[in-house]
Amino acid sequence: MTAVAGEERTPLRIWLHRYAALIRAAWLVDLQYRVAIGIWLVWGIMEPLISLGIWWSIAGHGSVQGWARDDFARYFFGVTLVNQLTLAWDAWYIDRWIREGEMNFRLARPLAPVHEAIADNLAYKARTGIIILAAWLLVAAAWPAVRIPFAPGRWALAAVAIALAAGIRFFSGFATGLLAFWTTRVSALMELQFGLSLFLSGRIAPLSLLPPVVGAMAAWLWFPYMLAFPVAVLTGEAMTTGAIVRGFAGQVVWLALWWLAYRVVWRRGIARYGAVGG
Amino acid sequence: MDAAILAEGLGKTYRVKVRDPGLGGAMRALVHPRYRDVRAVDDVTFRIAPGEIVAFLGPNGAGKTTTLKMLAGLLHPTSGRAAVAGYDPWVGGAAFKRRIALVLGNKQQLLWDLPPVETFQLNQAIYAIPDADYRARLEELVSLLALEELLDKPVRQLSLGERMKCELAASLLHRPEILFLDEPTLGLDVTAQEAIRAFLRSYRDRHGATVLLTSHYMADVAALASRVLIINHGRLLYDGALELLVARIARTKRLELIVGDGVRREDLAPFGEVRTFSFPNATLEIPREEVPAASARLLAAVPIIDLSIEDPPLEEVIRRAFEEETPAAPSLAGGGTPR
Repeated sequence: MTAVAGEERTPLRIWLHRYAALIRAAWLVDLQYRVAIGIWLVWGIMEPLISLGIWWSIAGHGSVQGWARDDFARYFFGVTLVNQLTLAWDAWYIDRWIREGEMNFRLARPLAPVHEAIADNLAYKARTGIIILAAWLLVAAAWPAVRIPFAPGRWALAAVAIALAAGIRFFSGFATGLLAFWTTRVSALMELQFGLSLFLSGRIAPLSLLPPVVGAMAAWLWFPYMLAFPVAVLTGEAMTTGAIVRGFAGQVVWLALWWLAYRVVWRRGIARYGAVGG
Repeated sequence: MDAAILAEGLGKTYRVKVRDPGLGGAMRALVHPRYRDVRAVDDVTFRIAPGEIVAFLGPNGAGKTTTLKMLAGLLHPTSGRAAVAGYDPWVGGAAFKRRIALVLGNKQQLLWDLPPVETFQLNQAIYAIPDADYRARLEELVSLLALEELLDKPVRQLSLGERMKCELAASLLHRPEILFLDEPTLGLDVTAQEAIRAFLRSYRDRHGATVLLTSHYMADVAALASRVLIINHGRLLYDGALELLVARIARTKRLELIVGDGVRREDLAPFGEVRTFSFPNATLEIPREEVPAASARLLAAVPIIDLSIEDPPLEEVIRRAFEEETPAAPSLAGGGTPR
């Protein structure tokens, strides 16, 4: 037999080539479903806009616990962008991979299935992020309320916070999806997480407006680090240095914990895998 | 010579939840879950030399796909050990996976919405195949499998046979040493089946690959495999040459006859069991050892226009082999080619 292919290339080049090919394939598939993707995108934007509409009318010409209309507008524009850039839907299709036997050929390849999912996420986020950013810039040109302060340092921090948030959301979804090795109720678990995250991540209201007990509960969970914290950093919300450091520390800890959960669930799941469906 | 595939005492036991029927059963299972161990594969041992094509046969649920998946590293065995291309399949990692291909007839890796060439390019990146090798191999596969016209058509518009040809090409671009093929001709028409068989033979001849395949089509087995493994209820019943199995199991031969004018069914009965009679065609079944004498007597006594002696259909031989499982199992296993 011939020598194993690829030995002459550096591992970095091999990995870059793999990710480029996976992202390219994901984009090509997306092009086949452009109408469906457009509808999902509209739905993704509608949810925070509806929340904004509600808080806009509640705030009237005054404010709600210090939040005026302009603050809500900035906040929910931030939520729209961060939500799309951190969106993770992996649990649903991992569940299908496992239950319907589509995991089999993936396990026979020299590439862990998690990389395909990461590349798919990068492809989606690059495409959708650009669309939302462009839409935001257009709206901001006409509507000063949604403009965010010019602060490149803060934007760089926001980029890091969004990347960490995407990591937390990805690995929490992926690890939950892998529970399909044991149970057929993964989608119910994901619905539960989704429901909790509506309140605890700050999707339907800024966390400071929620009852104190909910805020206290959220502080012990990963949800605020997936959305509320990166939105606060992005929109230039007044935060002490200590709060920013604590926010990043919380993100790093939760990312590490969910990554660890993914590793444990993956190793154990794969060992008990029944390889159903051919 | 080192084995390309080695299985020693390989076993896989699944734990399944047992539930009585009805709502009551469901409630009881909720409170007191009960489990039962199912032995899908039980103490299976065999060795396959490099370049061999071996067919793995058994009824549905016999354990052949489970064995294949264990050897490909997808499933962890409950007992025993295996070595494939010199690797332990469960710890071999990426280096092991570059040396094998697993083709599943009913679950495909092709990107459904895109032309097959996109899957080929993706696999080039995944398996880190250098450009020059990729081009040369693709050219070879395109010519052997006649894929030229299919490369730029979306997979969803291809026929089942065309998809399987592309699936094989996608799985072989990294030029694996070991091929695990699970029902590669499932659902294909006769022409497509023959094309796949011809390709597999030629691929093995060119690259010396070792092939372990499962199939329900005996034509696949007869055309491709010099050796068969028969498994049922997780146990290996036979390991050896196909001809030896036929000789062992098929204790009779069939005489296909075209008889002359005036010959009736009763005229043939003294020479063997008349299986079919529809003038002028008839089939006689005769014990293997009596065939020469009985044929001579038949030709002398009855006007016969044409006579051919055949083994019973392979499907029947294999079905009988499955049935001879329990007491005959030890005598069956171990026959045939040297191990």
